[in-house]
Amino acid sequence: MHEIKIAEDLSVIVLETAKRENLRKVTRVNISFGQMVQIVPDIFRFAFSETVRNSVAEDAEVNIEIVPVKMKCMNCGKDFYVTENRFACSNCDSTDLSIIQGKELFIKSIEGE
Amino acid sequence: MEIKIMKNILDRNQNKASEVRSLLASKKVLMVNLISSPGAGKTTLLERTCEAIGSEFRIGIIEGDITTDRDAQRLKKYNVPIVVINTEGGCHLDSHSISKVLGSFDLDSLDVLFVENVGNLICPSQFDLGEKFKIALVSTAEGDDKPGKYPMLFREAKAVLLNKIDLIPHTNFKPDNFRSDLKMINAQVPLFEISCTRGDGLDKWIDWISGEINKPI
Repeated sequence: MHEIKIAEDLSVIVLETAKRENLRKVTRVNISFGQMVQIVPDIFRFAFSETVRNSVAEDAEVNIEIVPVKMKCMNCGKDFYVTENRFACSNCDSTDLSIIQGKELFIKSIEGE
Repeated sequence: MEIKIMKNILDRNQNKASEVRSLLASKKVLMVNLISSPGAGKTTLLERTCEAIGSEFRIGIIEGDITTDRDAQRLKKYNVPIVVINTEGGCHLDSHSISKVLGSFDLDSLDVLFVENVGNLICPSQFDLGEKFKIALVSTAEGDDKPGKYPMLFREAKAVLLNKIDLIPHTNFKPDNFRSDLKMINAQVPLFEISCTRGDGLDKWIDWISGEINKPI
């Protein structure tokens, strides 16, 4: 259900940007979500469409990129993708890790006319 | 035309959380964000914790509840300042709601502020409240598969508490499955296996949280 609150915050950013740029219509919203944040894209799209109803963004397509979880091993320095929830270095098995990507809730751009 | 934005969607929440964190650091108050499913035992854990350290440390509590103040009523007897935030259906607390109620506390007279988040394992993990750290609490009755299902919470938690271990003989909970699942996601996180009703393992939790409260903020 966190999709709703995140969709509300996204709509504020989209509508403020559209106003500032004098857009009559927002056609596309490009966002990226980290795999770890467990957003369900269909619920998110529905929540967003509700928050922008009767606005310049009401027909906008929401383009969601899911970003896989990538960690850096603090022991051997290797970067690796986390698969099947295994948070240990694929090279040396260390669990001393730092996250590189996978927790994003990020708006990249909007498209419109 | 495309307009680049490149920002965190939850920027507003993040900025307010940073303000809260700076304020609490300046007042030397440790804020702990307690996250679990409904019914895992957050309020009972706070009851046991107030009983154990209430005379040693000055405790404050923020009770996040969708509706009602029942949890706060249960904690009244410990004579600690408590503020209830009713989210009116919202599935998590956010930093703005925390910021608004901080004024109700005398922060100069507190050592630790426990936030009992709304019962939910996903949504509260996404919203930084300005806490020093998160604690994940799960109970054996929920099953042994929770770390794998909710990796973000278990990855981010500073400690994990497994409550209701006294019920294990009556459930299909396999402690080894839980431990190995957790180890895969967060091998370094301390795990406290407790029973808030029977008292098992609480001494280790109390030692640990007391140590955290004593650390410089």
